[in-house]
Amino acid sequence: MSSTPTGFFSFVGGLSRFGARSLVSAVTPPYEWRFFLIQIEVLGWRSLPLIAAAGLALGVVTALHTRGTLVSFGAEALIPSLQSASFFNELGPLVTGLLISGRVGAGIGAELSNMRGTEQIDAIEAMSADSFKSLVVTRVLACIVVLPMLTVFMDFSGLLGGFFSEHMASNISLQLYMQRAFSTVSWVNFIAPTLKTCVFGFIIGAVSCYYGYTIDEGSAGVRRAATSSVVLSSLLVIISDVFLVKLIFFLFPGKAL
Amino acid sequence: MSDKLAVEFKNVSKSFGDRKVLQDVSFQIEDGKALCILGRSGTGKSVTLKLMIRLLRPDNGSVSIETEDIDRLPEKDLSRVRRKIGFLFQSAALFDSFTVADNLAVPLRHFERNMSAAEVQNTVEELLAQVGLENDKDKLPGELSGGMRKRVGLARALILKPTLLLVDEPSSGLDPITAGEIDALLLKVKQERHTTLVIVTHDVREAHKIADTLAVLDQGCVVGYGTLEELKGSENEVVRQLIGES
Repeated sequence: MSSTPTGFFSFVGGLSRFGARSLVSAVTPPYEWRFFLIQIEVLGWRSLPLIAAAGLALGVVTALHTRGTLVSFGAEALIPSLQSASFFNELGPLVTGLLISGRVGAGIGAELSNMRGTEQIDAIEAMSADSFKSLVVTRVLACIVVLPMLTVFMDFSGLLGGFFSEHMASNISLQLYMQRAFSTVSWVNFIAPTLKTCVFGFIIGAVSCYYGYTIDEGSAGVRRAATSSVVLSSLLVIISDVFLVKLIFFLFPGKAL
Repeated sequence: MSDKLAVEFKNVSKSFGDRKVLQDVSFQIEDGKALCILGRSGTGKSVTLKLMIRLLRPDNGSVSIETEDIDRLPEKDLSRVRRKIGFLFQSAALFDSFTVADNLAVPLRHFERNMSAAEVQNTVEELLAQVGLENDKDKLPGELSGGMRKRVGLARALILKPTLLLVDEPSSGLDPITAGEIDALLLKVKQERHTTLVIVTHDVREAHKIADTLAVLDQGCVVGYGTLEELKGSENEVVRQLIGES
């Protein structure tokens, strides 16, 4: 990103046009189903171990912290519902967004920049194939689709981590833990925050593809594309989260937590 | 051999920002002939190749392939013209995540959609045998040596039986023996298939072996054009330096 005002606005304009073009191309035939499914596997399926491990660990840690406070008020029975509220509303979506921007964003940025530098993108275009569609659109769409799925996985891993922690501390049964966890959760608290991660997915996909597809500076360019993808997509995920939370409160007044 | 033109550059100019890469370049290549473009690094040799397949577009002038101005062609017609052109990139440009066989199958699957899987496989194996890599079809590009990558790139460029083959620095980064093998393959393609060749190279000996005509580029201009013998009499300093090496 340029440090001059002109360069900054030029960058923002370029990125916006790139993102808009990816959405328009996504709904215009022909559709690259084969490459799309490959990206679902690469970006989604292969991220599951990371999401599961992070969710379990985060669930244990948040339960430990919450217990320390609530026990002094004799309110430890609220721990499961606090866990579910925090994971479904914020921790699950945001942490998934940030983890995926790190794993996937860096990978996409480096891979596409390397393809540009080694003339693989030229080779695709020399065959009159649409490199934007097969490389960019499939990745952006895959990010949009897998983020909500991974978020659900993170939510339930977090709840499971919380259960393990509580089971060790109070010998609570899984049935009772889950009953308490879901007693205060409405569909709005689950669906709206989960679906907001589609926006995170679009941001991660569009930013990392933009850097990877446009930077052609050899190995230094690959490094820059990977680093910049992670930094900017993480920042934009956090900033967009503020607006999306406000939007959810606006759309579901009184229901959203 | 016919006098039909395979490629024609007419007053082509190309700049990147303030840097003028090609200035008013004109030349012609007859069908079935081989042209080697020589010149120092950064004189616009690779840009010239990319203009021929419209990976880049000229700022001024026209580039014609078999008399069709490719800069004016709509996408559908451009695809028809590109179908006739093979391109061996300097780095071979193999798709990293595909096996050797899949790399060769990509152009077939794109342009020959009616071909059965068995036909694709047969064609791929036939081409790999021609470049001596029939036992390496399941390898990934990362498992191949530089020379093997070039040969796979050449097989991919030839798989659609192009009438025009563009080759960017075929011997760069290769030892003399492997470079000689690549040159022999190119010469075989020219002699057996009568494919028009445009080869960008630094290597005058390589040019001497393959080319019917040489074009010397310097600072974006054609400063020498003709056979090796004709260029030996050139008064241009760059041409004399380059040709003198032979």
